[in-house]
Amino acid sequence: MSADAQTLRQLVLGQKDVQDLNDTEAELAPELMTVNMGPSHPAMHGTVRIVLTVDGERVVKSDVQPGYLHRCFEKESEYATYTQVFPYTDRLNYVSPMINNVGWAMAVEKLMGLTTRIPKRAEYVRVIVSEISRMSDHLTCVGASAMELGAFGPFLFFLKCREWLYEILETVSGARLTHTYVRVGGVNKDLPDGFHARLAHTLDQIEKVMVEVEAMLNNNKIFRDRMAGIGAMTKEQAIATGCVGPIARACGVDYDVRKDYPYSVYPELEFDVPVGTTGDCLDRYLVRIEELKQCIRILRQCMKQIPDGPVMVDDPRVAMPPKVDTYNTIESMIRHFKHIVDGIKVPAGEAYTFVEGGNGELGFYIVADGTGRPYKAYVRSPSFVHLSTASALIHNHLIADIVPIFGMINMIGGECDK
Amino acid sequence: MSETVTLTIDGQSVTVPKGTNVLEAARTLGVDISAFCYHPGLPVVAQCRQCLVSVEKNPKLQPSCQQACGEGMVVHTKDAQSTLARKQMLEFTLLNHPVDCPICDKAGECTLQKLYFENDNANSRVDTPKVHKAKAVDLGPTIVLDQERCILCSRCIRTCDEVAGQHQLEFANRGDHEVLTTAPGETLDNPYSLNTVDVCPVGALTAKDFRFTMRAWELESTPSVCNGCATGCNIEIHHKNGRAWRLIPRHNPDVNAYWMCDEGRFTYHDLREHRLAAATVDGLPAGWDRAIKAAADRLAVGRAAGQFAIVLSALHSNEDNFALAKLAQAWGVTQVYVAAKPPVPARADGRLRVGDINPNTAGVKAIAEALGLAVKPVYELDPTVRGFIALGDVLPGIDQGKLKELEYVAITAHERGPVSLAKVGLPACAWAETGGTITNNKGHVQRMHAAVPPPGHAIPAWEIVVRLAQATGAKLSWAHARDVFKDMIAAVPAWSTLTWAREVRPLALRFAGSRG
Repeated sequence: MSADAQTLRQLVLGQKDVQDLNDTEAELAPELMTVNMGPSHPAMHGTVRIVLTVDGERVVKSDVQPGYLHRCFEKESEYATYTQVFPYTDRLNYVSPMINNVGWAMAVEKLMGLTTRIPKRAEYVRVIVSEISRMSDHLTCVGASAMELGAFGPFLFFLKCREWLYEILETVSGARLTHTYVRVGGVNKDLPDGFHARLAHTLDQIEKVMVEVEAMLNNNKIFRDRMAGIGAMTKEQAIATGCVGPIARACGVDYDVRKDYPYSVYPELEFDVPVGTTGDCLDRYLVRIEELKQCIRILRQCMKQIPDGPVMVDDPRVAMPPKVDTYNTIESMIRHFKHIVDGIKVPAGEAYTFVEGGNGELGFYIVADGTGRPYKAYVRSPSFVHLSTASALIHNHLIADIVPIFGMINMIGGECDK
Repeated sequence: MSETVTLTIDGQSVTVPKGTNVLEAARTLGVDISAFCYHPGLPVVAQCRQCLVSVEKNPKLQPSCQQACGEGMVVHTKDAQSTLARKQMLEFTLLNHPVDCPICDKAGECTLQKLYFENDNANSRVDTPKVHKAKAVDLGPTIVLDQERCILCSRCIRTCDEVAGQHQLEFANRGDHEVLTTAPGETLDNPYSLNTVDVCPVGALTAKDFRFTMRAWELESTPSVCNGCATGCNIEIHHKNGRAWRLIPRHNPDVNAYWMCDEGRFTYHDLREHRLAAATVDGLPAGWDRAIKAAADRLAVGRAAGQFAIVLSALHSNEDNFALAKLAQAWGVTQVYVAAKPPVPARADGRLRVGDINPNTAGVKAIAEALGLAVKPVYELDPTVRGFIALGDVLPGIDQGKLKELEYVAITAHERGPVSLAKVGLPACAWAETGGTITNNKGHVQRMHAAVPPPGHAIPAWEIVVRLAQATGAKLSWAHARDVFKDMIAAVPAWSTLTWAREVRPLALRFAGSRG
């Protein structure tokens, strides 16, 4: 403790009266202060606590403490059948649940040797719902971050778009948020009638809204001042810390699972991977905006190219029998019963698969022991990795800068805390 | 060392005693050949044809349950021929099987479900109407038969023949009209009848006691020992939500093989009947502290005058009896009494059932002997006795009028019989509610595990003894049944090498998969 601080401490203890203070003593003590940001803070994404040590407005040290949304995803998975895990994956990144569904299904399919046998239509449906989910993820991230910087309009505009997408996914799966739509071997049911027309119309509308939002933000002086040069990370840092997705791409890392480790029908689709240069918050924003446009591009191609056919692999090990058979034949009845009570039998082994999630590489690692339940499940959640960089990113920034940095890291509590 | 043969199954070499069948030899390698009619405790009939395997140099598939292992034999269980045979047998077996899984008690532990899902899992190629047979046929006092579900494996027929020694079941008719039935005028009524339900690979035979009560896959299983008689059959308690729903036998070649008697199976009902859930003093409910103090006070007069007795129980565990015997020692008593249910000689059949219907007669005797206590049956209770502590709820041969005049302290799980006349009643855990050991008539000391919580304020009987001892200044202190056990094996020479096995967590049958 400095000599000045000692003096002040004595003053506070009441040994001198205020009028006795000289000018120096009356100033604030040059002491560091520790404050809590969160766990529940209106300008923070998710429930996370940051213990900040600040020198005035400047952050000199921060301790980021996630875990408030821990739901034992990995442990719970050991007690659920492979199919029963899908609802849990919905609750990982709950802003883009379809991608999580797909990731889990692909890991189980890899264990069962089904990867190449998934019907083409099912693959296209998976890509369609994944890209819609990715759009809702980016719309939320960009909209909410703009709002936190005072731009309430873009938030309302983008949330309106997200609502349209949720409505479309509701017609597909029956649920707005927690879809549980994908299954091992395909998807639960085919796309509804009139889906293409509805999606095409919605994409047109969203494009119009994006023009408006970009006009409001891209050259907005306040927005740019708050974003540009804030929370920058070099390409090397991004790679060293394991950053993926829009954050890594903003730093110039040209890595997208869909391009570099192509899965599903992505090789048949034409799209670009936007890459930034500065690695700051503004580039993260621009990368996300461009990815939204690429999503629309992918979706339009999918609607053109999607073939007719089944949406579930014809393999009794994983395909639930049709209800009419379940009620009328003993074979289907037994299979139905076993699928529900014991779970699909996955041969012993281990598998890791990864997909491009809203926030980057989302991986599922499963150890199977030959029963209907995973022996061990692990999720490589991009949010968790990205959050680990948060402390370094906000270092030496002002307290107010934490808001855009955190907004652009886009930590999703459910995914980060598992 | 008996003669052995070495053969190759699926490329792995295995050496087994001569006479072993291929199916058992494969199981030692972890190769589980599907089978319906084969049961290790029953004669082989090779009736279901589900276990067909190919044996090299043999033109036709062989039933592996009947095929004895030969030197140098080469067996394939996963080749195209035997895989196809398994699939086709399952398709055939399911031809006339009703769509009953949702209402069938066997669902979830059904061998047919299990084997179909693992080996066939294909749709039937036949769409002719199923042959219908009788449903809900009342076979006897304990069992209902569904003839449609029966796959005609004859396990139940052989079980009646071998385990009960009574041929009460038989097949009638031929082809797809063949049914399981009893002979005209006969019923399925023998003391081991419910073993047929256990061995039934499908839901054809269901126990009246269990059917439509609980879903098999929702149960949890805890290993224990039957307390119905001195045989001490090894059992699994199947329980859920703190309640036992059924007892099924657990394999133990030294005691009960794969079987148990019907009477033993029903003993779980007693866990919920006439239970003493709170301590009583003079017939009125009391808290533990007041009841223990009352018990100590009531016994003080008799103890001071030496007109006092301690009654052990052949119905309680070794630990409970050892604790009470140690209390007797601490109080300077040299002569104890044993309360036991009177024998039922008619029960003895030279199989599992014996005349002594007390689970722990041998254990009490060994403990009293080891501690140097003289033992008398309780009906020889000294007439000068003014007060006594008794374990259990039976006091045969003691006059009710006389009992009313005595200061009687009961440590008991049940409130019935003489317990209603007790001045102080102390609620104890029943056998399925606390860990402990019992000693059967052959001297096997067998471990029981707690499966369900005790009702109300009941605690283990040895713990009641500890509380009572401490209220009277006697130095007895144990914190766990394991500690009592440790002191006990140190005191009883014959048991000195015993170990307290690991605590067992209930096994959720859902996670055990369909055990079939």
